[in-house]
Parts: sequence; structure tokens; C-alpha cells
Amino acid sequence: MLADQYFLIAHEDRTGRSRLHPRAIGLGLAAALLGELILEGRIGIEDGDLVLLDRHPPADALAHDILDLLIAQPRHRDVRTWLAFLSQDAAIRVGERLIRLGAVEPVTRRRMLTTQTLYMPNSAEQRNAAAWAPARLANLLVRGMPLSISDRVLVGLVAATGLTRHVLYNFETHRHAFYSLPSAVAALPSDLRDLVEYTEASVGSVLTVGRR
Amino acid sequence: MSAVGRHHLKDNNFEQWAAGRLLMARKQEAVEPDIVERALAKNRLGVPSVVFFGVAGAAPLTVIIGAISTIYAVVGNTAVPLVYLVVAAILSIFTVGFVAMSRHIVNSGAFYSYISHGLGRVLGVAAAFVALPAYAMMQIGLFGLFGVVASGVLAALGLKASWFACALVAWAVVAVLGLLWVDLSGRVLGVLLVAEIAVVLIYDLVMVANPAEGSVSFSALAPSQLLTPEVAAMMVLAIAGFVGFEATVVLSEEAKDPKRTIARATHWAVILAGLLCGLSAWAMSVGAGPGQIVAAARAQNTDLVFSLVSKHVPQALISIGYLLFMTSIFAALLAFHAAVSRYQFALGREGVLPMRWGYTHPRTGAPVVGSIAQSLLALAVIVLYRLTGADPLVYLFAWLTTVGGLGVLILMWAASAAVIAFFVQHRRQENIWRARVAPIIAFALLSIILLATIIGLGDLLQVSDGSIFHWVFSVGYLVCAVIGIGWALIMRIARPEVYAMIGRGADSRTVVGVPIPRRPSSHADPFSVHMPSIK
Repeated sequence: MLADQYFLIAHEDRTGRSRLHPRAIGLGLAAALLGELILEGRIGIEDGDLVLLDRHPPADALAHDILDLLIAQPRHRDVRTWLAFLSQDAAIRVGERLIRLGAVEPVTRRRMLTTQTLYMPNSAEQRNAAAWAPARLANLLVRGMPLSISDRVLVGLVAATGLTRHVLYNFETHRHAFYSLPSAVAALPSDLRDLVEYTEASVGSVLTVGRR
Repeated sequence: MSAVGRHHLKDNNFEQWAAGRLLMARKQEAVEPDIVERALAKNRLGVPSVVFFGVAGAAPLTVIIGAISTIYAVVGNTAVPLVYLVVAAILSIFTVGFVAMSRHIVNSGAFYSYISHGLGRVLGVAAAFVALPAYAMMQIGLFGLFGVVASGVLAALGLKASWFACALVAWAVVAVLGLLWVDLSGRVLGVLLVAEIAVVLIYDLVMVANPAEGSVSFSALAPSQLLTPEVAAMMVLAIAGFVGFEATVVLSEEAKDPKRTIARATHWAVILAGLLCGLSAWAMSVGAGPGQIVAAARAQNTDLVFSLVSKHVPQALISIGYLLFMTSIFAALLAFHAAVSRYQFALGREGVLPMRWGYTHPRTGAPVVGSIAQSLLALAVIVLYRLTGADPLVYLFAWLTTVGGLGVLILMWAASAAVIAFFVQHRRQENIWRARVAPIIAFALLSIILLATIIGLGDLLQVSDGSIFHWVFSVGYLVCAVIGIGWALIMRIARPEVYAMIGRGADSRTVVGVPIPRRPSSHADPFSVHMPSIK
């Protein structure tokens, strides 16, 4: 799913560390979770507000959970509020889902005084799958193959949070792929394009302040 | 309507009912925050943290020990304490309109985004082109002060190091920390700031308790001194001690209550800095004696405060004072470095500077290009001063911070005009004091100070009559502004879609090249409560 792919791209497959500023990664994952609900037709975005379209629970447990939260809090509709709210624990939630799927395993690290749980691929098989996530996207972009709508959202979120250079790491051979990014995002339906834009704006203001 | 009765028009009644419901809904909202609000508030900043952020840039100990004694020495006027209080009052009035405007614009980053919202994008770019050299010069000037102070401290310890070596070490550390985007905000800064303020208050108490002329004299506070001609020009030096208070609005998205926290914190930052500087300047005049303060300041420069109190306090307290003075300058260096890089990052992200400047390091979020650019510029200037052998305290610290202060004053002046223009277009539910009266008073007062500064700049820099330095800096800023205007006009023709985004700071979007019309922020219009579209 969208958030799983984003999670695997945004974390190092060998160490499980995040490739991004912790708040940027949270916003990217939060946007991916909202994107999943939009792709399933449960919610939409209108003028910066989330709109509930369909209350039937999605098949995925995490998506179900998020949708219930949105239903239970009708006072908050602003997309950026929800991005900020979901970003706080999005990494844990998506990490747990990846454990259920068997794609990663929890690893506890002790550091000075705090313990930190990393969700990292451990077996060779898991690592291959994790490394494939960015490679698959780069492959699609470089060969100019038609992207599915879900992949186009993924491309948008990758660009919005600043992971483009990780996915397309070789600028010379990937030059035309760089230039195809804006059109891939611009061709999205308006809700998903808005989602990418609000994510980029939120990431921008979070990085400007520079707090963790 | 009264003849027919209120209940006659059913359609209108529905609106009244809806408005009543909305009011009730808003009241409930104010009483009990729900889980979303609580979760978001947990990680957000309250008033004290924002005040620390604002005051840290001004670094009170740097201002009190570095700037106040320099003002006494350079201007030779004893009105300094009064000038600080007056400047604090003027900036408080300015803050009223400034903070009111910050509530209504989506990205409230720096002065130039206010100016582009109020006076148009062309002048906004001009302001950005003035702001960049101004803040850059203030930071580079501080390297001179740090070098001299550090080399003095090392000499007292028996180590010989030139100001150049000390400045280079500081430069290297700032450059590295800037690249790692280590912010000393939060606890470290808070502890340093509290320690600084404590030391300042102890020194003030000691100086007031041991007056040079036998009794405590209030003559330095006599209002009649405000009528002397140097006063307006002294204000630009005083304003340099407040630089950074406007940075608080950067945090508006991080504050617990964006409407109130930022406004209160900004006012506190101004008042705190004003009272502290005013009190210390007065205490210095008491400690040295109002008649001798100018001569003493000229003789001892930045050591003035320390030599005044050293007779009455244990040596350890003096050492702590010197140490904190150094850390305070260093914190100011770092804060200005971050401010300059942030400025360049916002401009790069908007497309005013080349896109390269909008790049951030993925993991740390550091605005790498802006940080490197500022470091290289600082290095070049420091080396240049070393090669020419100019006095670092006078020509590096005093000159550059004064000229930088002039640039910041120009920005404040333009921002106060922008606030007026912004609220003339639309009152936006602000009351008449915030939207009209305060901005106009602030603009008038800042105009007077700016004019007096431009006329008196040569005297502040202590250059001889007929020297080009009387006017070259003012003209330099004018040239920067004109280049900015030209650049904005070129952008309007060549890249209209980028031009449309100017003034939105880091909020702008680059992935999707198509600009969408700007949406008013969620609290721009209190009555546009979004009706829940569910159910």
C-alpha cells in the first residue's frame, strides 16, 4: 500500500534509520495514510478541507482506524491539521502494519538514556523487498512507463518531502525522469494533487522552523 | 421590520438561528479541547519558549556590555537609558499592528513577506534584497566583537591569541553547527539566557549600590535630554539591540495558540529587552557617574561594566560574566547565522533566489546552500579585515552592526507601511487601534528615526566631514532595493507563475508548477466556520 511503499523508501534498508528529518517523514507518512483513504474513495479534499464521502470501513485495519478517527472528530476538517496530527505517530502505526505484513521486524536500540524501536527489514528476503521499493519507482520513472494513480501519489510525496534525489540518485542518467515528475503529479485528480501540495507546504514550514 | 414583527420573515430567522448555533459551537470549542487539539498542543510552544527564541537573537549581555558602552563612547550623550525605553515603546506600538497582520497571512516568515503582502510583490523583493545584506552584516560584525573579547579573555589567562585566530575558531564552529542545523533553542538557550539576565541584574544592583558620586542620580533619565539632536540617531544603535524580536512570528505555526501566544511573546520580548537595556544603561551611568560615563566608556570600551563592578564583587563573578559574555555573543552569532540561512532558504524556495537555495539537507533539514554562502561571505570579510589591519572593534563590529541596524530599520519602516496598507485594503475584524491607529503612529515615529539616522550616519560612524561614508551605505541600500525592484519586474515578465508565489516563503510549492489562488488562512475570517460536511 501507499504508506508502506513510502515507509520503505524513506528508511535505510540496512540500518532502519530514517532518511529524512523526523517531522518531514511523519508528514509524508500521514499524507500517504490520507492518500490511501482518498484512493479507496472514502474521503476527498475540497478547498483545504477533508470531506467524508463513504463511511464503509476499508479492508485494511490501519486505514479503518484512521477513517474512524476522522469520523469521530467532525470539528477538525483542515487537511494541514490532520497532517500535523497524524504525523505524530504515523511512523509507529505504519511500522506496526509492516510488521503484520512480515516486511519488517521491530528492533530495540538503547541509546544513552532512551530506548528506540526501529522497524527494519532483517532477513535477506525482507531487505530485498525494502530495497526494491525505491528501485521500482526509479525504474518506472526512468523508462517512462505508465504510472498507476497510486504510484503517482507516491512520486508526489517523495518529491514533496525531499526524497527525489534518493530515488533518482544518478542525475545524469535520470535527467529526463526528473523533468517528468511535475507532469506525473499534475495529472493526478485534484484531491490527490491538493494532498501533495499541502504536504509540501507543511514540510516547508516545519523545516523553516527547524524544531524537532 | 418592527411593524411586521421579528418572527415574520422566516428566511432571515434561519440565518439568525444559524449564527446563534455557530456562536454556541465556538464557545464550546473554547472550553474543551478535543484529542486532536490536545495531541497537537503537547508538542507546541508556549509564551516563554517563544520569548526565549526572540530575545536570544538580541543576546542581552552582548547588547548591554558590547553595545551600550559603545553608544556612550561613540555618541557621547547620556540619554542612552531613555533612548532604550523610548525605542522599546516605539517597537511595542509597531508590534501591535505587525502581530495583528501576522494573524492574517498564511506564511508569516520574515519582514519581506509582510511587505509583499502589504505593498506588493515588487517592493517585497526589494525588501528581501535589503534584508539579506543587512542581516548578513550584523552577523559578520559580531565576529569582530567575539574575536576581540575572546582574545582579551585568553590574554588574561596567559594565552596569546590574536582576534583573528579567535574569530576564525568561532567562524569554523558556527559554520559546522549551521550545516548540522543545530539549534541552541530550547533548554541550552534558556539556561544561558536566564544566567545572562541574572548576571546583568546583579551587576546593575552592584553599580546602583555603589554610585560614583556618592548618591544615586536620576539625571540620565531626565526627559529633557530627548530634545538633543543626537537622540534620533542613537535610536538606530538602540534598535540593533532589539533585532530578532520579529523572528517570533516564524513560530506561529508552532505555537500553542497562534492568535495569542505569538502576540504576547513578541510584546514580552520587546519589553523585556527594553527594560533590561534601559536599566543597565542607567545603572552604568550611576556606577561611573553621569558626568564621567562618556570619558570612562571611551577609555575602557567593552570592559567598562566589568571594571565598574570589579571593585565590589568577588573575582569569580567577573569571570562568570566574561564567560557568559562570550557565550552570549556566540549564541547571537549562531542565531543570526540561522536567520540569514533561513531567509535565503525561503527566498530560494519561492524562486526569488536560484532554486539551489531552496534545497535542504534531507535528514537534518538544514538549508545547506544558504548556510555555506553566509559562512563563505563571513570568512571573506574577516580575512579582508585581517589583511587591511583595520581595528576589528570599531570597523568590523561597530561599523557593520550599525550599518546592518540601518538596514533592519529600513525593513521595520517598510513593514510598518505595509501593515497600514494591508489593513486599508480590508479591516479583517481587527479593532481600530490595531488596524489603524497603532500602525500609523509606528510608521510616523519610524520615519523620523530613519530620516535622522540617514542624516546622522556619518557622525555615528565617526568619519570626518566630506567622507563618502556619510552617504555610501544609505545609497548602497537604495541600490539593493532598486536591483530588487528590477529583478521582480524581470520575474513578472519571464516567470509569471513564480512571481505569483512571492511572499509565501517556505509555504510555496514547487512540485506542482501550477499556482492555485491563495486560500485565506483558516482564522482569517472568524465567521467562515466550515460547516461539517459529513452526515
